[in-house]
Amino acid sequence: MNEEMDSVVDEIVRAVGKEVSVEEVKKNLKKFIEYGVPVDQAKRAVIQKYGGKGVIPSSNKKKLGDVEPYDKRLSLLGKIAAVEEREVEVKGEKRKIFRGLVGDETAVLPFTAWKDFGFGKGDVVKIKNASAGEWGGQPRLNFSEWTEVEKTDESIDLIKRKAQRYSVIDLKPGLSNVEVKAKILTMEERDVSVEGKNKKVYSGIMGDETGKIRYTSWADFGIKEGDVVEISGAYTKSWRGAPQIVFNENAKVEKLDEALLVENIGTEKIPIHKVVEAGGGVDLSIEGVVIEIQKGSGIIYRCPKCNRAIREGVCVIDGEVDGILDLRIKAVIDDGTGAVNAIFGRDATEKLIEKNLQDYEKMTEKSGEEAVEKDMEDLLIAHPVHVTGNALSDDYGVTVIVQNAEVIHPEIKEEGEELLAKVEALK
Amino acid sequence: MREPALRVFAGEYNESTHILKGGGEKVPSYVISPLGAKINRLFIVGVLTDIENVAQEGEMWRAHISDPTGIYTIYAGRYQPEAANFLSQTETPSYVAVAGKARVYEPEEGVVFVSVRPEMIKEVDASLRDYWIMETCRHTYKRMEAMREAMKMNPPSVYKLKELGYPSFMAEGVVEALSAYKDVDIDHYQFLIREALSHFASGKIEYVKELGEAEKKILEIVKKCEGEEGALWDEIVDSGEKEGVERNLVEEALTSLMDKGMVYEPILGKLKTA
Repeated sequence: MNEEMDSVVDEIVRAVGKEVSVEEVKKNLKKFIEYGVPVDQAKRAVIQKYGGKGVIPSSNKKKLGDVEPYDKRLSLLGKIAAVEEREVEVKGEKRKIFRGLVGDETAVLPFTAWKDFGFGKGDVVKIKNASAGEWGGQPRLNFSEWTEVEKTDESIDLIKRKAQRYSVIDLKPGLSNVEVKAKILTMEERDVSVEGKNKKVYSGIMGDETGKIRYTSWADFGIKEGDVVEISGAYTKSWRGAPQIVFNENAKVEKLDEALLVENIGTEKIPIHKVVEAGGGVDLSIEGVVIEIQKGSGIIYRCPKCNRAIREGVCVIDGEVDGILDLRIKAVIDDGTGAVNAIFGRDATEKLIEKNLQDYEKMTEKSGEEAVEKDMEDLLIAHPVHVTGNALSDDYGVTVIVQNAEVIHPEIKEEGEELLAKVEALK
Repeated sequence: MREPALRVFAGEYNESTHILKGGGEKVPSYVISPLGAKINRLFIVGVLTDIENVAQEGEMWRAHISDPTGIYTIYAGRYQPEAANFLSQTETPSYVAVAGKARVYEPEEGVVFVSVRPEMIKEVDASLRDYWIMETCRHTYKRMEAMREAMKMNPPSVYKLKELGYPSFMAEGVVEALSAYKDVDIDHYQFLIREALSHFASGKIEYVKELGEAEKKILEIVKKCEGEEGALWDEIVDSGEKEGVERNLVEEALTSLMDKGMVYEPILGKLKTA
């Protein structure tokens, strides 16, 4: 809330046009507000108090289509396309907020109103001193205590909110009205009961050349494995630490005659920041440098009952057990745009470092457990690796469960010459 | 979220004077480079040129790592036991990889020294160093591009840069740098990349033999003239010419020796063997 107050204080200071203490202006303004004077009147009063003319400097007047995240002091005219009341908890206190959509002929944007402005669906309103945040790569408007909303009789034709086209890799949780073209790679049919009624759901994995994603369809669109489809009006959410796309009978699903997407599904290498921003994904392909081998790498023992890694023959769940020997690596892979944790199971580990569990058992007998970790560091630290697998996110960040991995030996001379040519061409 | 380890040449990192301080406990601080790298953590591969224990008592190791554009300073003390231990027993010159946190020292207002506190340090080979140079060129080039795009915008917008496909990290850094640094001299960084890339350029390899001969001679000369403080650049060039090494080749040889970490510049204009 303070930011909006600051911007009002800013306006006053500028309107006064001479040296005044910001702190004092703020104090004065607060006093008026506490007395229940509406913000715009309080503003005028403070300006007059300092001998200003009470002229409010022009604010940031924009069409909705021009609003960008982090815009402040916005002046807008729009039609409320939808609004709903919500209860949220802010610092342990329950508060009523209003969420909805406001639009004009250029765009429809989501908004959050932090108090009841008394507007309803269909109202055309003049909005002053709003701000914008960002959600899912889209601006979202905030109407705070400091925002003024005034109903008008003007009429506005809303732009038809067009579905936004995404590549699979750019799908992150929290998007709505999504359009995507993808191939259905797997499909499972399940019966579930929703509010006492039996319903069929269809779920699986679909993908385009940029990546793969889990999907759930709540309606039968007659799609089968292998189909290339265009879906519009879907939404995304986070499910078990990775993004998922969901569509129901409100969506449009069209089967395409394209063979185009058949090859190269999800084989493109993805910059790591995209994996981090999406909060995980299925069957990803990434490349980065190993910058850390974490504790718990090397030869470990697993509990025969629950498969957890155990320490000195004791499992946190099952107590004293006869551990089963295993090999793994926990590493951090970083490509300079982002970083992920990576867990390599025994197969992936043995393939990656071209040594097997027996080799490391011998090494342990000869030189101790630390030798194994040291050897892994020697073989991997600072080396570029190519990794495929599923990625999940939790409180600690994104973790890739590695399916396959190899150390790469990039051909840098050629790439160097290419980049040099590009740099020279800039002249 | 784990902070990514940025690839930034020493030439760019050392010119950073703007710090974005994190408010509150868990908000990280960043060094903003002139080209808009938003640095909390760095990944560096270069030549370890010298190591010194600078603590009054106990241990605080200062070391320098050279890349084709400049020199990083790293510090490791008792809170970085593995790095300190590594530095206490490593020979120079050698190729090392370092992942570490950006550190800032501001002795007075407006004066900023940046260094690196290693979280990981490891000896590597020349091929990994070359790969790092290539990667760092690529990242620097991308920032340069983003910076050019941002300069066309009025005002520069993080959102618009992201829409153009730049990672949010880069977009934020570039916009922050544009407002913090009055003039960002993009051409300077273009030069930096070119210097670094010329390391791989074709034709270089044949030249290397001739250079190799010159390098040996020049290295001897530097050893002879260096004393405590290091040898003066001009003195080396003069002595070189006396021994029949042409002026250009002397300079090439010196640059190459510096790249390899066999010679470094303890003070501007003076050279010392590592």
